[in-house]
Amino acid sequence: MLTLLEQLDKGSLWQSPGGIHPPELKQLSNQQAIGRLPLAKQFVVPIPQVGEQARLLVEVGQTVLKGQVLTEGTGFIYLPVHAPTSGTVTAIKAVASNHASGLPVLSCIIDADGYDNWCDLITSDPAALSNDDIITKIKQAGIAGMGGAAFPTHIKLNTASEIDLVIINGVECEPYITSDDRLMREYSNEILKGIEIIHRLLGPQRIIIAIEDNKPEAAQAMQQAIHLSKLPANSTRVTVIPTKYPSGGEKQLIQIITGKEVPSGCLPSQLGIVVQNVGTAFAIQDAIYSGKPLIERVVTFTGKNIHQPGNYWLPIGTPVAAALELVDFRPSTTQKLIIGGPMMGYAIHDPYVPVLKGTNCVLAPSNEEISPDSDEKACIRCGECAIACPALLLPQQLFWHAKAQEYDKAASFNLQDCIECGCCSYVCPSDIPLVEYYRIAKSALRVEAEEKVLAEQAKLRFEARLQRLEDEKLAREAKAKEAAEKRQANMKSSDKDAVAAAMARIAAKKAAQSNEANLQSIVKHDANDSTGVDKKSAVSAAIARAKAKKAAQSAEQFSIENNATQTPSNTHNPSDSVVEGGISQQNLIAAAVARAKAKKAAQNNQAITSDEAVNGLADSSTSDTDPSLNDKKAKVAAAIAKAKAKKLQQTEIASDSADTEPNEDNSITASANGAMAKKTIADDNTDPAEQDKKARIAAAVAKAKAKKLQQVETSNVESQLSSSSITLEQTPNLDSAVLDKKAKIAAAVAKAKAKKLAQQAEKKD
Amino acid sequence: MITHIFVAVAVLTISAIVFGIILGYAADKFKVEGNPIIDQVEALLPQTQCGQCGYPGCRPYAEAIANGDKVNKCPPGGTATMEKLAELMGVDPEPLDQVAQEAVKKVAYIREDECIGCTKCIQACPVDAILGAGKLMHTVIAKDCTGCDLCVEPCPVDCIDMLPVETTLKNWDWKLNAIPVTLVSESLEER
Repeated sequence: MLTLLEQLDKGSLWQSPGGIHPPELKQLSNQQAIGRLPLAKQFVVPIPQVGEQARLLVEVGQTVLKGQVLTEGTGFIYLPVHAPTSGTVTAIKAVASNHASGLPVLSCIIDADGYDNWCDLITSDPAALSNDDIITKIKQAGIAGMGGAAFPTHIKLNTASEIDLVIINGVECEPYITSDDRLMREYSNEILKGIEIIHRLLGPQRIIIAIEDNKPEAAQAMQQAIHLSKLPANSTRVTVIPTKYPSGGEKQLIQIITGKEVPSGCLPSQLGIVVQNVGTAFAIQDAIYSGKPLIERVVTFTGKNIHQPGNYWLPIGTPVAAALELVDFRPSTTQKLIIGGPMMGYAIHDPYVPVLKGTNCVLAPSNEEISPDSDEKACIRCGECAIACPALLLPQQLFWHAKAQEYDKAASFNLQDCIECGCCSYVCPSDIPLVEYYRIAKSALRVEAEEKVLAEQAKLRFEARLQRLEDEKLAREAKAKEAAEKRQANMKSSDKDAVAAAMARIAAKKAAQSNEANLQSIVKHDANDSTGVDKKSAVSAAIARAKAKKAAQSAEQFSIENNATQTPSNTHNPSDSVVEGGISQQNLIAAAVARAKAKKAAQNNQAITSDEAVNGLADSSTSDTDPSLNDKKAKVAAAIAKAKAKKLQQTEIASDSADTEPNEDNSITASANGAMAKKTIADDNTDPAEQDKKARIAAAVAKAKAKKLQQVETSNVESQLSSSSITLEQTPNLDSAVLDKKAKIAAAVAKAKAKKLAQQAEKKD
Repeated sequence: MITHIFVAVAVLTISAIVFGIILGYAADKFKVEGNPIIDQVEALLPQTQCGQCGYPGCRPYAEAIANGDKVNKCPPGGTATMEKLAELMGVDPEPLDQVAQEAVKKVAYIREDECIGCTKCIQACPVDAILGAGKLMHTVIAKDCTGCDLCVEPCPVDCIDMLPVETTLKNWDWKLNAIPVTLVSESLEER
């Protein structure tokens, strides 16, 4: 049993499965030497060509020299882009790309100045360079695989795996294309210099230059060049392989040369093998020895509609149309332009797309060569495609699933291992464009996979966000808790006393409310009983009424704290209280106390008229006894009134449509005006600084009251309704007694309130 | 005769104990944490976290589906997702609840000169894909945007647009190859 190396030396070959033998048609273009076409007037250089992101180093209007770097960037597979000739950057815009999609991509448009001046080139001797320097130089020269896939060469040459075998791919199995053939014939020594550099970088045990047996001149030229090269003896050999499509595929070639199959999803470097194109070897040599970046390549112009077919050195970025004009291109009526070969190439939508690093052929076939697309017929299950498939897939199965858009099922038949060589489409008797279906399915699967990754990222971000919100909430709570504890600890005893006092006051007030309600009932009782209406009793009755009203008002405010249903019945329903109050002995006692109090108060304030007392807070302002105090009270009352009026007005405006009685509207306006007027009067009387402060206090009080009122109203409309109806009942009496302006305001306010409550009740119903 | 009965009972008892121990051990050893179906359902959902299903995110909807909710409430997933969910849950596929709009993936775009820096969209974004600070211009991190629409509504100045994702060479679909190839003769005459 021979070892692999011995077999390689012997030139043993293995069979690769499948494959076809299409007409080669290479003699069309391989008869004359590689020519050089006159420089195009305008160049289109897509940026970036390899890699995703790059920074432009030039701007519109800038003059560039041939070989000048146009972009810089980082990233694993980034390659710099160079100016193909000297000239001026006239535009940087999106133009149609040399891609099956024809989608516009950002490109640098360079108008050639015709001088073709090189920038400064750094020539070097590879012997004086370290391996890293060479790799860097290869990267800086922007060298990508010239076979078509344009994979960055510096990555392939910088592999971590140990490489035993390097295969230099000069197979060029696709029909029509002869660029590598001519390159090997004419530049074999240069290619060998490139191979020397590859040998130095990778240190393989063997280097095989694989050439198909339809290119005997190229094989001979390479064989001679090996003898002239400095490569170690017996390390390099030319292996001529039988012509079959697609022997030039990387995995197929490895199988033919070594008999090893590259596992699905693996790279050849994992088997210790690297495959490089001959064009790439030439470009490496050019970059190292003469310092020239990869800015031109050999392109085959062929097809029967090109009347000067052949291979030409074309600067990368030359528009295809510009080159076609120089090779006597005579398009037919349904002319297709194909980039690449007839098997794997793609038709371009626009002839003004540029030549790229991977563009090895421009094919302009006549209708006899490649017929216009014929209609797809039904699959007859002949199985020819499965025989032809070089990747040993099941093209029929893939076709069913791809057509039915069951891409995951297609993927389960190893769709990803399809090399899109086109053998199946070529042999299909039903003219089914099988590869098109696979490309669609592949791109759908790729999109799906990308979406999956994005969805995963979105999920992570969403979860991170939820976590963040939760953390923030907990932190906030902890902070609040800490602050509360701190406050508690810092609180002085006096503060605590103050809180306690406030609590006590609230309790006292509550007690007073219930007492006064009872008192009122008793007073009424008394008033009804006594027939002789002496002045004192009348006054006390009036005061009691006033107090009852006050109590009712405060009850409104405190009904949140109080039991919502009980309080109104205690305070606001005098008729009920009359019955209930009379019965309770406790209430009687309390009433007696209250009566005594009322009497005292009446004696003290004889000057005060009973009706003024009824008016509550506001009426104190007219009393003469304590002018300064009264002033303040008046202001507070005014502010309250103002706030109330404002609020009412707002509610009125909001529910304008619900309004039925216009006079009520007027009364509200009147009350608002009245309050304003009163405020103005009060303001005039005091000095501005004090007044300002007071006004602010008043406003705050009013606001708080309004808020409380609103809360109460929304919570128990029913009870409020009853309370306000009572207020309403009382107010007409007041009006008739003294036609005081303030009383009118109070009445208006009360009316408005009642109306509002009624509306709310309606709404609720 | 009676010994046969005893033997039979004894054999059954012993085997019951043995199997009981094996099952008990297996139940402990191979215990499945949580409901695996929820994870499977969630893996199928598009994770836009848009809430169009009526649940606050994709995970809650996955839980709801696992508990028997309908599978047709996910407009961003489209019919394909609905069919996968139906297959997974063993229910009949149903047409989507809402009229499934043209399934074009969109991303939010903030017209930056109009942005007042209110941060409302930042708070609305379920995947933190909007960058900005109070009173400063905001912008969308397009690659992280799921196109859920949730930021559009809170914007007080309506400066957020939902734009379809641009087709590039990376995400180009071969289906678009329906574009007829330009006939070179015509095109050359034009220029």
